[in-house]
Amino acid sequence: MSRYTLSTLAVAALAVCGTQASLAQSDQLVTAAKAEGQLTVIALPRSWCGYGPIIDAFKAKYGIKVNELNPDAGSGDEVEAIKANKDNKGPQAPDTIDVGLSFGPSAKAAGLIQPYKVSTWASIPDSTKDADGFWYGDYYGVLTLQVNADLVTKLPQDWSDLLKPEYKNAVALAGDPRASNQAIQAVYAAGLSAAGGDASKASAAGLKFFADLNKAGNFVPVIGKAASLAQGTTPIIISWDYNALADRDKLNGNPKVQVVVPKTGVVAGVYVQAISAYAPHPNAAKLWMEYLYSDEGQQALLNGYCHPIRFNDMVAKNKFSKASLDKLPPAAGYAKAAFPSLDQQNAAKEAITKQWDAVVGATVK
Amino acid sequence: MKSESRLGAWIAMAIGTAYFLLPLIATFEFSLRMERGVYSFEAYRVVFADPQFQTTFGYSIVMALATILLGILLVVPTAYWVHLRLPKLRPIVEFITLLPLVIPAIVIVFGYLRMYNSSALIPLTGSERATDFLLVCSYVTLSLPYMYRSVDTGLRTIDVRTLTEAAEVLGANRATILFRVIFPNLTSAILSGAFLTFAIVIGEFTMASLLDRPAFGPYLQLIGANRAYEPSALAVIAFIITWASMGLINVFGRSKSAKPAH
Amino acid sequence: MPSQPAARKPVNLNILGVVPFAIFALMFLILPTSTLMVGAFQDANGHFTLENLRQLFDTNVRDAYWISFKISMVSSMGGGVLGFILAWAAVLGKLPAWIRPTLLTFSGVASNFAGVPLAFAFLSTLGRLGLVTVLLRSWFDINIYSTGFSILSFVGLTITYLYFQIPLMVLIVTPALEGLKKEWREACDCLGGTTFQYWRFVALPVLWPSIVGATLLLFANAFGAVATAYALTGSALNIVPIMLYAQIRGDVLHNPNLGYAMALGMIVITGLANTGYMVLRSRSDKRRA
Repeated sequence: MSRYTLSTLAVAALAVCGTQASLAQSDQLVTAAKAEGQLTVIALPRSWCGYGPIIDAFKAKYGIKVNELNPDAGSGDEVEAIKANKDNKGPQAPDTIDVGLSFGPSAKAAGLIQPYKVSTWASIPDSTKDADGFWYGDYYGVLTLQVNADLVTKLPQDWSDLLKPEYKNAVALAGDPRASNQAIQAVYAAGLSAAGGDASKASAAGLKFFADLNKAGNFVPVIGKAASLAQGTTPIIISWDYNALADRDKLNGNPKVQVVVPKTGVVAGVYVQAISAYAPHPNAAKLWMEYLYSDEGQQALLNGYCHPIRFNDMVAKNKFSKASLDKLPPAAGYAKAAFPSLDQQNAAKEAITKQWDAVVGATVK
Repeated sequence: MKSESRLGAWIAMAIGTAYFLLPLIATFEFSLRMERGVYSFEAYRVVFADPQFQTTFGYSIVMALATILLGILLVVPTAYWVHLRLPKLRPIVEFITLLPLVIPAIVIVFGYLRMYNSSALIPLTGSERATDFLLVCSYVTLSLPYMYRSVDTGLRTIDVRTLTEAAEVLGANRATILFRVIFPNLTSAILSGAFLTFAIVIGEFTMASLLDRPAFGPYLQLIGANRAYEPSALAVIAFIITWASMGLINVFGRSKSAKPAH
Repeated sequence: MPSQPAARKPVNLNILGVVPFAIFALMFLILPTSTLMVGAFQDANGHFTLENLRQLFDTNVRDAYWISFKISMVSSMGGGVLGFILAWAAVLGKLPAWIRPTLLTFSGVASNFAGVPLAFAFLSTLGRLGLVTVLLRSWFDINIYSTGFSILSFVGLTITYLYFQIPLMVLIVTPALEGLKKEWREACDCLGGTTFQYWRFVALPVLWPSIVGATLLLFANAFGAVATAYALTGSALNIVPIMLYAQIRGDVLHNPNLGYAMALGMIVITGLANTGYMVLRSRSDKRRA
């Protein structure tokens, strides 16, 4: 009897001090999540960081149904989806979001997310998480040159190579630099290379680089995707390494794809996770986070070619499979990766989105 | 004079056919390139093997038919009434029907989520069938411009006033006039509107995605996101099946209508 | 004549006729839109402001509206004329009977073949490595790109837009063409009129309101179109829907209030175009009456 009371008290105590305390994949959390029965995620394309297999593994492990909303959504879409579904407990309301670094603080300020610290919280680098636990970085990648090796025989090795005449009508971005994080970081990275590593001059130098690229006739203003890469309209695409590598696998040699990490100007982009303040299934959301940040989850991200945020910690403890490490581009390329701070990112955003049309002038009139 | 118009018509048709078929041929040619170096139907095999393709396409076809029905029932009586009795309201009604073209679909659907979510007065997102109904209403809204414009054009062509008066003199009530006199004379216009609606619903993405329904549009996006050859194969397949469905609607619609006035 | 009796009653009953439409429009179009459009007059914290409307007059936004307007004008006029010719050929051109239903059903599908598949189809046809480009070069030694043509230009975008504009025109205008009475043509012939006179004085005046109405629809259709332009010329094109989406949905900018203000601007322009159409049509109606 007393043992029963004691354990009940213990459980109650845990629950009381619990919303911010990590529960790990404890039975309690699992039971609560299973009782909710469903998890709604948004903006997780199946081939982005290998999210497809991750979601399937989560479903298989816990038997919780996963509702995948709008895989093509941008970070802005996700925030708007939380806002629009404030009172909605139906399957249209997202439980968790995966957004660009700068969206973490703005979502927190707008009161759209709730705090939660996973059990492996300590091994997440401080610069990539919110001290109060509202948002936390989950993975990063670096910008690379994705090349259709059937059409482009001489591979570019660095940003400056792209200006050469043999790459006429060849270079494209993977998004719209007035709206897409990937494209803006690409301009920033080119600028960082041209400015010799000086972050304060990177945006201006990047815009100038693309203006020169456009004048030389090398820039193609089409948004690059796997289809346009294969068809030949955009034989060189500047994209995140994990997307480039996933495309390479999907295309399966038809055409042959090479992924090149540039020699200079290697920029890393961090994406953060957060739980919606209005989540209809908060426990399922917490279990999902625990899963993502567990060794199993981080290994799965690596299998999808994303660098998981606990990369350094897990490499030191030798926790990754050798096969998965070998499939990545050489580690030397990543050693010099620059991680732009929030302020640097905001400044770059401001400059590039406002001046792209005027400076680069690749406009259709 | 007769042979002149025939030659002119043939030339117009030939140029039109070339313009419309060439991009389709190019898409088809690209879709055959899935296997390196040879032409094959591999991309098509992959698409057909996916069970999602059949379920989502079937769902969208059902939604399309429901939308066409609701759209016709809503628009034809309204257009008829405005034409006959309320010509002063015509500019307002027409302006309203143009709005869905310029208001981004995402704004409309966010509005739905705020007004009809599970905690609101009319909790339409609460259950699957109710969300389906909301989706059909959103599709009717999106196809409103096309349906209304078609029917309006058709009404101008027939002499609505005389037909109505003749029918009234013969003792018909409103419903009879509408369904047995006006509708059959508007067959061509209604079919035009139906075709446009059908195509819109099959390809629609935003509404279905944000209301979380298993429609064909979100499926197309999913496939198109990072594959190279399957999206082209899918585009060709969707084109052919949609065209065939319209052919069926056409046959069904024309056989049901009475012979036109002249 | 049938509604002569009680002068008050018919008016009330008449209004009732549009009540279902009014309810539907309110519930599923006007109210949902309004709940968000108020955002055009608010700032990020929900306070009333006219700042968003003022920003609509910034250079880059004004340029965007101008280019949107241009492409909508050109593709709707072009689509109107070409669509009319195609519809005429099918209905009145004395072609084999199977051509008309084939054209109509094909137009139905093509009218919505837009967005990424359409952009990709044209890149595969007229792009630098497109089918037609390559064939013209290898069969006829013609390099269209050496003449300065590029599919990634205003001209290229217009050609692509026409793919869904022309079918739309065909579908809307065909019923009107089918409604042209044979007797009018015969009467004109009997009186010694030429083909030109028939069209100028009989057919076109009758068809005019339908043609203008359809062209207006094409204009609004192009004005609100975004997926095709985005997929084709993405970062090189500055049209309002793309800017709007960047604000509401983008990864970076995210000022939805400005986005709603832009949408409001689009609604106003559409309203103006609609008024212009009313004026054009009422003048021709007066002439007919």
